[in-house]
Amino acid sequence: MSCPKTEHLLKEYFADDLSQLAKSEMEKHLHECVACNEELESLLLVQSNLHRWQDRQAPHWDRGVELFRREHRLTEDRSSVFNIWQWLPTSVSLAMLLLVIFNTSFEAGEQGVSISFGKSANAGANSMDQLAEFRRAQQEEFSEFMIRVENRQDQNNLLLMQAVFDQTQQTTAENLERIYAFFEEQRLQDLQDMRVGYQELVNNDYETIRSLEQLAQFVSFNDVAP
Amino acid sequence: MPDGVPMSLIDEDEALIAAALKGSSYAWEKLVKRYETRLYNHGLRLTGNPTDAMDLMQEVFLGVYRNLHRFRGDAKFSSWIFRIAHNKSVDMSRRKRFMTVQSRSDEDEVDFLDTLPASSKFEPEMVLGQSQLNAKVLSMLAQIPLDQRLIVEYKVFQSLTFEEIAELQDLSVNTAKTRFYAALKKLKVISEEANVLPQN
Repeated sequence: MSCPKTEHLLKEYFADDLSQLAKSEMEKHLHECVACNEELESLLLVQSNLHRWQDRQAPHWDRGVELFRREHRLTEDRSSVFNIWQWLPTSVSLAMLLLVIFNTSFEAGEQGVSISFGKSANAGANSMDQLAEFRRAQQEEFSEFMIRVENRQDQNNLLLMQAVFDQTQQTTAENLERIYAFFEEQRLQDLQDMRVGYQELVNNDYETIRSLEQLAQFVSFNDVAP
Repeated sequence: MPDGVPMSLIDEDEALIAAALKGSSYAWEKLVKRYETRLYNHGLRLTGNPTDAMDLMQEVFLGVYRNLHRFRGDAKFSSWIFRIAHNKSVDMSRRKRFMTVQSRSDEDEVDFLDTLPASSKFEPEMVLGQSQLNAKVLSMLAQIPLDQRLIVEYKVFQSLTFEEIAELQDLSVNTAKTRFYAALKKLKVISEEANVLPQN
C-alpha cells in the first residue's frame, strides 16, 4: 500500500516554514492516509532514536590556550617594538654615550648656542685667540672702570672738601659771633659794675662829705661854745 | 536576534570574542569551552572515531582563532563556527575516509567497534551502559553517505533550519529537504534490517 503524495508530503513535514494551512492539510491527509502515516511514524522513530545520542565530554586538551598566549605575546611584543616610549631610556642613554665618546661640548654665548665635537688644533687656536681677545677687552674695561672710579673719587673729594670748608667757615663765623657777644656781654657787665662802683664811690664821697660837714659842725660848735 | 537563542548567550559570545580579540586567553578558553563539547560530538558523529573527532575539533578551533577578527556579529556565532566546521569536515573527509563501514548492502555484519582505528583510545565507559546508544547511532550514521550524514547532523543534532543548512552547504532548500528525507528513509531501512535500535 503506497501513496503518491508520501514523498512530497514528508519532505515538507520536516520543513520549518510550513504555513498553518499547509500544516492542517498535511495533518488531515496523514489522518486519512495509512501509508503516509506509517511512513511518517517510522521516520519519526528514526529521528527519535538518533536523539538518544548522549554527548560525550571532549578529551582533555589545552583548548589552544598555549597557542593563543604565545601568539598574543608575540603580537604584543611586535607592537611594543614600535612603542617609542619603551625605547626612550635606551635612546637617551645611547645619546649620552655618543656625547661622551665624541667629546661633545655645548657653548652658550652672546652669539648663541654652539655645539662642538672633539678637540681640534684649530679649535684650540681659536680658543686662545678668543681668550687673548677676552683678556684685552677685560683689561680695557678694567682701565675704563678705574678711570671712572678715580674721577668719581676726585669729585667726591672735592665735594667733601667743599662740605668741610663750608662747615668750617660757618663754625668760625659762629665762633666770632660768640666771642663778640661774650665781649659785649663783658663790656656791659663792666659798665654795670663801673656804674655800681661809681655810685658806691659817690655814696662814699657823700658819706664822707656828710661826716666832714658833721665834723665841721662839731668843730664850729665847739668853737662857739668854749 | 536569532530564534531560540537567548539574547544573553549571544551577548556573552560577543563579549567573549571581543575580550579574546583584545588578548584575553581566559575569554578564549571560555569561548572554546562553550562550544567544544558540541563540536567534539559533531566530529564524533561525522568521523565515527574519537581521534578524528578530536582532530576535527582542534582544526575548527584553529580556524576560528585564525579568523576570529573577521567575525562581524551579523550572524550567530554558532552558525559561523559551524560553517568553519563544515568546511573542515569536508576537507578532512577528502584526506581520510570517514567511517570506513561498508554498506549493509554488502551483506556483512559489521560491528561498529571493529570500524574504529586501532589507535583510538576508547574509555571502558564508551562500550558500556549509556554509551552503547551512541555506538548504535554511530553505526547507523556510518552507513549513509557523508552528504546525507551532514544533513542529518545539522537538522537533527544541531537543529538548523533547511534554509540555514542550504546556506551552509551551498545547496538549494529543496535539495536539502530531499537529501534529509532520503537520509531518514535510508536510516529507517538500516534500522529495520539490522534491528540495531530498540523499538519504542
